[in-house]
Amino acid sequence: MATLSPSVGNILDQATQKNHSQTQVGHDWFVQLKQKGWENFSALPMPKRNDEKWRYSDTRTLNLENYHIGKTPSEDQVNQLIAQSHFISRPAGLIIHIDGHCVLRPAISAELAAQGVKFESLQDALKHHPALLKEFLLKHEAGLGGSKFLALHQAYLQSGYVLHVPKGVEIKQPFVSVNWTLADGVAVFPHALVIADERAKLSIHEYNLSATPQLKALAISAADLYAGAGANISRFSVQGWSNETQSFEIANTSGAKDSLISSVNAALGSRRARLENTVRIDGPGADVRLYGISVATGEQEFDQRTLQIHNAGKAKSDLLFKNVLLDKSRTVFSGLIKVAPDAQQTDAYQTNRNLLLSGEAEADSMPGLEIEANDVKCSHGATTGQVNPEELFYLLARGIPLPVAQELLAEGFLEEVLSKVDDEESAAVVREMFRQKFHQS
Amino acid sequence: MSEIDDSQSQREAIEVDRTKGDFKYEENYAFDAGIGLSEKVVNYIADVKGEESWIREFRLKALKTFTDLPMPTHWATEDLKNINFDEIRYYLSKGQKPSRTWEEVPDDVKETFERLGIPEAERKFLAGVEAQFDSEAVYSRMKDEMSKLGVIFCGPTEGLRDHPEIFRKWFGKVIPIGDNKFSALNSAVFSGGSFIYVPKGVKVAQPLQAYFRINAENFGQFERTLIIADEGSEITYMEGCTAPKFETATLHSAVVELVALKGAKIQYITVQNWSANVFNLVTKRGVAEEDAEVRWIDCNIGSRLTMKYPGVVLRGKRARGEVLSIALANDGQHQDTGAKMIHAADETTSNIIAKSISVGAGRSTYRGLVHMPKTLRNCKNNTECDALLINEHSRTDTYPAISVRGQKNSVQHEASVSKVSAEQIFYMMQRGLSEGEAMSLAVNGFVNDLVKEFPMEYSVELKRLIELQMEGSVG
Amino acid sequence: MSDSLVIKNLNASIGERAILKDFSLTVPKGEVHAIMGPNGTGKSTLAKVLAGHPDYTVQSGEAFIDGQQIIGQEPDAIARAGLFLAFQYPSEIPGVTIANFIRAALVARQAKGAPFDAKAYYAELYAKMDALKMDRKFTSRFVNEGFSGGEKKRCEILQLMMLKPKYAVLDETDSGLDIDALRIVSEGVNHMRGPDMGFLVITHYQRLLEYIVPDRVHIMYDGRIVHSGGKELAIELEAKGYEWVKKDLANAK
Repeated sequence: MATLSPSVGNILDQATQKNHSQTQVGHDWFVQLKQKGWENFSALPMPKRNDEKWRYSDTRTLNLENYHIGKTPSEDQVNQLIAQSHFISRPAGLIIHIDGHCVLRPAISAELAAQGVKFESLQDALKHHPALLKEFLLKHEAGLGGSKFLALHQAYLQSGYVLHVPKGVEIKQPFVSVNWTLADGVAVFPHALVIADERAKLSIHEYNLSATPQLKALAISAADLYAGAGANISRFSVQGWSNETQSFEIANTSGAKDSLISSVNAALGSRRARLENTVRIDGPGADVRLYGISVATGEQEFDQRTLQIHNAGKAKSDLLFKNVLLDKSRTVFSGLIKVAPDAQQTDAYQTNRNLLLSGEAEADSMPGLEIEANDVKCSHGATTGQVNPEELFYLLARGIPLPVAQELLAEGFLEEVLSKVDDEESAAVVREMFRQKFHQS
Repeated sequence: MSEIDDSQSQREAIEVDRTKGDFKYEENYAFDAGIGLSEKVVNYIADVKGEESWIREFRLKALKTFTDLPMPTHWATEDLKNINFDEIRYYLSKGQKPSRTWEEVPDDVKETFERLGIPEAERKFLAGVEAQFDSEAVYSRMKDEMSKLGVIFCGPTEGLRDHPEIFRKWFGKVIPIGDNKFSALNSAVFSGGSFIYVPKGVKVAQPLQAYFRINAENFGQFERTLIIADEGSEITYMEGCTAPKFETATLHSAVVELVALKGAKIQYITVQNWSANVFNLVTKRGVAEEDAEVRWIDCNIGSRLTMKYPGVVLRGKRARGEVLSIALANDGQHQDTGAKMIHAADETTSNIIAKSISVGAGRSTYRGLVHMPKTLRNCKNNTECDALLINEHSRTDTYPAISVRGQKNSVQHEASVSKVSAEQIFYMMQRGLSEGEAMSLAVNGFVNDLVKEFPMEYSVELKRLIELQMEGSVG
Repeated sequence: MSDSLVIKNLNASIGERAILKDFSLTVPKGEVHAIMGPNGTGKSTLAKVLAGHPDYTVQSGEAFIDGQQIIGQEPDAIARAGLFLAFQYPSEIPGVTIANFIRAALVARQAKGAPFDAKAYYAELYAKMDALKMDRKFTSRFVNEGFSGGEKKRCEILQLMMLKPKYAVLDETDSGLDIDALRIVSEGVNHMRGPDMGFLVITHYQRLLEYIVPDRVHIMYDGRIVHSGGKELAIELEAKGYEWVKKDLANAK
């Protein structure tokens, strides 16, 4: 293709990265941040099979070749995808990206704006609130093995949103961010920066989707969330990329004293999807809940890595990841609860449940604990098995055929997590997405 | 009582009797391979033992593998780096053959084992005893009726020399040289240990026992054990160990291979009470054929660092594997233990129960592996790990890895971490028990269901060890 | 025969243990038959075997619903053929709401691809729930999860009323019920009685039969029916106790 403009170059070419930073000229610190990302990316090795943080993961198929930066989509395409992006009837704000380009800048109510709430694209925030970004942008490290991918994300940082809710402001309706991939071979690097000041309350729902199911794409997302003292952050992240996507999501949340953090990760799409979700509790009284659900079909691999760090005592964290596996799919759950030496009176739990609906699927589970304080209540559990035969018989005895009964039981299995989603409309959308997926397989 | 006093008395309360083995005798060895590890040392050992060339080659190949393999510090503790392989003595022996009567054992060595109560235990309840002093067995005797049934109980040198048709087939097969760095090390310099064969259908009612004693400073003990239980046979094997407290680190690195043929049962019991400067890096694995059962009952009280994950390869239909494990880690100790269950046939079942107690700044770690590949059907695993933390900075880690495929296979893993509740202690103290006694009762209660699985004589000894020490510390 | 539940010389076991021993019984449509008997005599096994539970092995014998063989059929096929089992211990189905569950069961009974009338469905569901004095909020609760014993049994009867089988086997439906719940459940069953349906009521106590008055009473012992009679047999049994049956049987031998 002779007409390739520099902005659609291969992401592994240094020239592409340099050109990509051109648009941010004037924000030197930001350009340097990206440059540093590129250097780190170039220096770090690709993960290998015997790397502990990649255990059970199919590292041989990791491949970053032949992805390019996305072109600006056409107006028709934009209109079409925007029309498909209304998952909640009255969101507090909606932002939409296609192939890394912001195509709908969020508009929030005058009331929220007056309260000092900021919900902007990363590019707008860079212009309007550089100090805020300097303080919070990419301050977390990827502690779970994805450093190289996070470095590449940093090198191409451009798309995404910033959500800042000031002290004491409580917003019930979710903010919504939708990321689409559209062009074959596109690489996207969506970023989320969420800051809830003292006693602020917010909810953010993220939908990551592809315009066509067989699209080849690379998605490396990062989310940094900060919950101030007494703040409440609720996040729902839906990974619904196309079946030929390699996706990586590196989420880091830190919670101050008395903060309340809840996150639900739903995984449906991608050929291989890796989630690294870290929550760090820095103050007493914090309460963290991490949930995950997935339905893996075909040859999908869902690789879930979680870390619950208790740096402060008298806090709680709970985790529940549930996977349904069909066909030749694979899920890996690796979770660690770390209780620091002085984090007494910690309550921390972790549960992974895998439902195998096929003899060829594989569920790997590594629930871990590292406890350095004695006055704690910590436990974890992992189970892998088939549907409960007594439950199945009960359904059959009502005349429900086997495949329908299995699907009902699997949907019921997921419901425990879907019921934690803070918005019923959004939960219904994803419930339906899962149902569709069952029917397709 | 101040908080510090509390914590001190709690720690003392559950401290076990580690002094029992803390004495040593003068070192005067006829055979000494010198200090450090080299081909020369390996050849020296092979020469002293007069081994056939294939064994020498096995050793030399293993030495190379050991040198080539990196220290597994990418997942294991950095403390491994403190082992200085160049300062260790790999072979020490007084040069005599294992005696069949205690009278023939040199006085100082005999006294050692008498102080440890071995001859007495032999008279009371054992089918046979082997006592190893540094590199070689000094005493080995099995009751005559066992020999008449065709049971073989000897060391690796005798086993490979006198019964190659039985032992060579399995030697180094359950645990290949390159399984890990320390199995390679053992394969290069192994000396002493038990080679046992139980013929078809023979059920050995009383346990066979081996006792391992390190007497020399800077010494590395590398015994090798291979137990083959032929079809339908049954055997219980017990091992104990002690060493005096030295200023410098000592290394113990054994390889234990178990083979339970069709319908056979092997129970392997370990009470590990090395002094707190011993690096105890042991590889243990059993193979269970159709309808066979392999049980590891493992109690780790001593050592500076223990790394040991007994495993069972469930190779035949309906084979069963079990690991029951107790670990107690005090200040300066790291008990890194666990279990591996490799399911390789239909309808196999495995069970793991691991309990650990961390005292003071002690650290206990559980590592587990459960593997069920596809094509298997109706396999089950159950794993329970419970950790008890006694003091403020006691530490525990749990790292299980579970991989499941196949039809109707199910795996369940549960782990919990807790402390002895203050209410529990208060309740017992209100009934008139001292804090130490209360803590002792609580700890014994925590491990009680596992202690019961040890043969009576051992479980009584285990409980007594704990209780005696507690009484002393509280008064 | 063509309008009865017919069980002929049924022999069934769980594992190595034989439980049903040459069991025979016929329940004509329109009648209510009760099976009474001491614990461990095989009453619940009979219910499970008829419903096709995979844990039980049938060595020999037959069972027909209006002439259609059900032994050897899959449990869902038996259910759709018209047999309903009200479980003694209904399973909890986490995450599946009652509304969805009954709906799935009804859809399974429709022709493939036929439209489902959701409006009529909810109208009927609510009406029946009202009759059983069940809170309408129950529809969005997960099947049997966290239910009291009485709620579970009421939920069983609700399903019975919604699915309208040809024959219903009620396995110890009275266990775990207080007197009010027993009355409500019995009213539900009595409401269903009619020429188009047969009932097999399995119970340990006569109490239930005061509310659901049977046409015939059978006494089961050691895997088969040993005595049959009218409803007065239940009262006689209550008065004399099961020891009487055992003695009677011993004398007969």
